[in-house]
Amino acid sequence: MYRFLSRTVCAARNSSVIVYESCVLPAKCEKAAAPVFRVVNGGGVNTLSTSSVRFCEKKDDVVPSNQDEKTTAVKEDPPTETDQAKMAKQTEEPVVLMAEDGSTTQQQTDVKTEPVVEKPTEAAIDAAKSGKQHLLDLLVAMKVEVTSKKKFKGTTIKQNYESIKHPESKSEAMESTISMFQKATEAASPPSETLEPDLVAAASAAAATLPDSNRAQSVLLRQLRERKAITEAQKKGDMSKLGEIIADMKVGRQYSRQKPSASSQITFDDDERGYTRDRGITGELVGVRRRRNFFLAKRLNIFSPTTEDDAVQSTAAQPTLWDMEFANNLSQVTNQAPRNGFEEMIQWTKEGKMWQYPVDNEAGLEEEASVSFHEHIFLEKHLEEGFPHQGPVRHFMELVVAGLSRNPYLTVQQKKGHISWFRDYFQQKEEVLKEANADLN
Amino acid sequence: MAAPGRHVGHYIQRNGRFLLCNIEQVLGHRSFGWTPAVRQQAAEVNQELPESIVIPKKKTWSKEAVLEALSSTVGRDPTACPYMFQDDPFLTPRTSTEFRMFALSQESGRDAAKFFINSNPKFFTKDFAEPHIPCLMPKTVSLVLEEVSEEALKERINLRKVSAAVDMYDQLLQAGTAVSMETTHGLLDLICFYCDKDPAEEEEPQREDTDSDEPKPKGRIHRASDFIKLTWKENNNAERIFNLLPERDTRCYSALIRGMVKYRAPAKAYSMYTDMLNNRVTGDVHIFNTLISSVVHLRVNYEARWELVTELLYQMNQQKIRPNILTFNSVLQTLRRCGPIGKSLSLQTVSEMKALGIAPSLATYEHILCLFHKPVAQKQYGADILQEIVSELEGTSLTCQDPNDVLFFATAMRVCVDTKELELGYKVHSLTEFGENYKLQGVPYQRSTYYGRFFNLLCMMEHVDAVLKWYRRLIPSLFYPNVQGMMDLLQCLDTDNRLDLLPDIWKDIKTVGHENKSEVVEEVLQLMAREKHSPEVQESFATCALDVKNEFEVKRLLQWSNLSLSNVTIVLLRANKTQMAWEMLELFKSYNRVPSKEVLDAFLTVCHSDGTPQKAVELVQAAAALCLLQTPTLATRTLAEFDLTEEQRAILTELEAAGEPSD
Repeated sequence: MYRFLSRTVCAARNSSVIVYESCVLPAKCEKAAAPVFRVVNGGGVNTLSTSSVRFCEKKDDVVPSNQDEKTTAVKEDPPTETDQAKMAKQTEEPVVLMAEDGSTTQQQTDVKTEPVVEKPTEAAIDAAKSGKQHLLDLLVAMKVEVTSKKKFKGTTIKQNYESIKHPESKSEAMESTISMFQKATEAASPPSETLEPDLVAAASAAAATLPDSNRAQSVLLRQLRERKAITEAQKKGDMSKLGEIIADMKVGRQYSRQKPSASSQITFDDDERGYTRDRGITGELVGVRRRRNFFLAKRLNIFSPTTEDDAVQSTAAQPTLWDMEFANNLSQVTNQAPRNGFEEMIQWTKEGKMWQYPVDNEAGLEEEASVSFHEHIFLEKHLEEGFPHQGPVRHFMELVVAGLSRNPYLTVQQKKGHISWFRDYFQQKEEVLKEANADLN
Repeated sequence: MAAPGRHVGHYIQRNGRFLLCNIEQVLGHRSFGWTPAVRQQAAEVNQELPESIVIPKKKTWSKEAVLEALSSTVGRDPTACPYMFQDDPFLTPRTSTEFRMFALSQESGRDAAKFFINSNPKFFTKDFAEPHIPCLMPKTVSLVLEEVSEEALKERINLRKVSAAVDMYDQLLQAGTAVSMETTHGLLDLICFYCDKDPAEEEEPQREDTDSDEPKPKGRIHRASDFIKLTWKENNNAERIFNLLPERDTRCYSALIRGMVKYRAPAKAYSMYTDMLNNRVTGDVHIFNTLISSVVHLRVNYEARWELVTELLYQMNQQKIRPNILTFNSVLQTLRRCGPIGKSLSLQTVSEMKALGIAPSLATYEHILCLFHKPVAQKQYGADILQEIVSELEGTSLTCQDPNDVLFFATAMRVCVDTKELELGYKVHSLTEFGENYKLQGVPYQRSTYYGRFFNLLCMMEHVDAVLKWYRRLIPSLFYPNVQGMMDLLQCLDTDNRLDLLPDIWKDIKTVGHENKSEVVEEVLQLMAREKHSPEVQESFATCALDVKNEFEVKRLLQWSNLSLSNVTIVLLRANKTQMAWEMLELFKSYNRVPSKEVLDAFLTVCHSDGTPQKAVELVQAAAALCLLQTPTLATRTLAEFDLTEEQRAILTELEAAGEPSD
């Protein structure tokens, strides 16, 4: 449905473009077409920047942007931000265009359409009385009713406009968009399939010879139109056909992309909040905004806000069997096999099977770290009590202490124990020593 | 502004240098260790304005820091087999079954060794290691203290000897000795945890090591089967001891309630809880967590379940108990079984968590995903939620807080597959690759589910080149594709018209051990035979087809079907391997299979292009021997197209005529 609609919109627009290219006056025609463009613009054209192939579109695009200017001119009463937003959008589109063709044709078309812009705005301003409301109505209803032009009907050219309504002009219009600007001058003649009058006359004459003359005539004429359409199509060559195909494809693409948000687009325009729904950026943002709602639901409101001391209380307890098993369970669940040799080494380090990095040759000697080196070396002070101050025992003990101070394998405690063993020994043997007179005190 | 600043900087720098020189002179050579730091400091001051000098704190490195840095430069090698099998190339697993078997046997070997060491400590007394390595020494697993005392009871509790501990407690009571409250707590915990049964003997070594030594192949499977038969018995030792206690505090209740819920007596647990309330004892967070998780068994009605949950939560608040992540996860788990009301309530629960400053864990997200994702209707909902979750988690290092955390990634990938969200799938995958997050992929089974789904998504949505890139990265170093995965890949090749890769894929199929799965083999043959390709491709196809034939003929893993025979024949014919194709025709006979019309036509075409009418006649004869319906048409075609001798003509006309009456 929508696809059909936008296609008709396209057709209507294109033909109208031709119309005003040729004879510049029909302001009311633009007026009628403007809302239509708004719809296409809002929904479809924005996606153009993403559609890869734009053979014929790039020519069309200039027109919509111009048309848009007109519509903004019409809506002079809405808040200025709307206008600004719209302007932003408009400026964006030509830029995209520039990027894509970047050639002189773009310039040309701009120049060409420039004078045209003037007229509709003039006409639009006096139409602005009911203009905006009417536009909105049109948008909401999504009705591409060209009848609205009657409101602004001031001048002639009704006939030309009629041709838009003519259903058969659609396909023709589509084709003609491609070479539209090249044949801007020749397009001055009505572009529809109205055949040459003499041809029609001949056809009716031929039909008159047949029994059911009216029907025969219409059949003949239809046949002629078809033939003409085909020849024109072939004259333009394959490229135009390609263009046609692409145009179709593009319409399809538009449809699929804008479907989810088509309705919201209109409401945005409607409530004058001044959003422009650019699918590229704002569209995404709106999507994000909508999704954000998931975790912004209201809370259960069961728990009151916590105080600090609660937390302190809970941590005080010693781990129970349950806690240990829970931790064990967690570590088992997350325990992945090592992925490389280093990870295996990390595992070994944690288990204490590996020498730790950074390498420290005092690893495992933690209790010795608090003992200073002089306690290992200067052991004479332990000889002060319990040993004679001179004589062979003293001499012997000094030798023992010298030996001990050079021994790296014993702890200070062990060394002290060693010395005190001798102290006990010599005290026990005091009698014997005295007898032997070894004690030379 | 800048110029004065610079002047000041210069000034300071010069002065700083001057100062440094002085200090260096004073301290001599010993200062070399810190001067660079000071210089750096001076340079910094030069850049900024001299407000305050920040002396960097000494950084203490953990003992794994160096190794972690090194490990991050290596990562995972996608071209190698899993690291755990690298020592033994012969045992490199090629299928998931083999992987499981080898991993389990490796692990059970380790356990056996540990068991042997622990049960025979007298043989392992020598301590070679310097410094001493405690974990290599045998642990005491047998009881040392024999006399009746509280110490002995504690020893029994620590060694988790349930029945011995209960005996000891009874003896202590009979002797009239009072047991301290702490020991009683430990005893009740022990009895309730093991449901009054001694933990199985072979479980012992596993239980004992609290370190993260064992790679997970065990884990859940063992555990689940272990306790499946155990249920809470009326008046077991725990209840008996509990009733004998002069006073009961929170931890006694906690132990019993947790035990009852664990061993499927939720109603009893709930009545115990009301009993506790009547005795004016406040609960603890564990009691509420377990009770909330048992709500599903207590109430049938969805509404009633939620009512009970809120009631419990309100009571928590009344008793000023701070909920933790597990509380909310069990609420969400209950909500998963609360039908339609679950969705909105789950989001409110999450808001409540956030309001209390509790960050959701992966399990929280997993519950929400399961609540919102319906595979059939409203797929987009799940994807939107996942989108949001992923954008919240992106670039964070996750830690495991709940055993259910590991289910998240597989579920998330399922959502992606169901909604065909390729981008989202990539995002989820990059989340798993961030930091150490891969550890949260869970046990190998869950991991291979995850990767299987990811690969499925890729095959569905991605271009074939990208699929193959991932294929090389994931297989076989991370997981072993199942039959469906292989079929997906084949389909993907077909869609993107890269059938020329089929021979390579066939090699991989053989590697991962799917060469005996008939659907895969048939699919390969079907794809090879379907269209004509360039001569080189046909040549490689023919080699591949012969290889497949080998699978059928030599290894006899599969039964020839009509289709597979026809396909092999057609592939061979297209590669002009006429001789081998004739051999295939023999196979048709020997296996009582009927060649299709296409095969025979292809044969005739080849005979025609080779200019061998004799072969064509033989073919028609063979077809007649198989009693094919197409024989007359074949004969007619041969008569029309070939240059035949009189004799051959006679045979063919006879066959042509013979076919007709039978029609």
